[in-house]
Amino acid sequence: MDRKVSDRTILDEFAEKFCEIAEKYVKYIICSGFVSIAHGRSRGTEDIDMIIERIPIEIFINLHKNLEKAGFECMQSDNPKIIYEEYLMNGDSIRYTFGEGGIPPEMEVKFAKDILDEEQLKTRKKLPFTGLDIYFSSIESNIAFKEELLKSDKDIEDARHLRIIYKEEINEEIINKIKRNIRILRLKKNER
Amino acid sequence: MRDKTHSEQVERWANYVKNNPDWKKKLKPFLDSQIIISRRIYKKLSETEEGKEKIKMIRNLKN
Repeated sequence: MDRKVSDRTILDEFAEKFCEIAEKYVKYIICSGFVSIAHGRSRGTEDIDMIIERIPIEIFINLHKNLEKAGFECMQSDNPKIIYEEYLMNGDSIRYTFGEGGIPPEMEVKFAKDILDEEQLKTRKKLPFTGLDIYFSSIESNIAFKEELLKSDKDIEDARHLRIIYKEEINEEIINKIKRNIRILRLKKNER
Repeated sequence: MRDKTHSEQVERWANYVKNNPDWKKKLKPFLDSQIIISRRIYKKLSETEEGKEKIKMIRNLKN
């Protein structure tokens, strides 16, 4: 899709800047709300969700230092060791804003927590429709999470929006497989 | 669940996006305005006496 630079939103620029640095150190995906917004959903958000693979502390320290060098600030701490050990390793997310003062937008980053997240990382893709040079979790995965796990009005509408945009390409079999795994792994339901 | 007209609007807009390459241009002012307003409010708030503390509370910031 051909798009002029001037079409880029504040969220687009923030996301691309962050992802450009992240990609040098870690495999990542952008998932959830921003996926829908990048596909034209007319709603706001203050944060962009990023899942990263589990990396050793040394690599995280380098990533953090380079994010800081580029002007990003972590809201939880300046100390990458604390961020890594007290947040990421505990399964908590960390938040980066651009510039001082913690003003929106922010990148919410967390480690992959189970095989569902690992599978999302494995099947990540760039989505030309968005015009953005960043990796997203697959459309099927986004739809499955929104319809099976998140389920708020906003999430159901996000999924509906994506279903219309990708009407001809969506693989229902994959969506159903992911939904099944969500029920087993996240909702702890027995599936026979 | 929101009412029928709401989901109709979601559908109408999704179809517009799918079929009109200029959707981003149309949506950009709306998307940017939310961030711009939010930033403006935080800036104003930070200039008040207890504003910085309030921002920390709102956004759960570090000390």
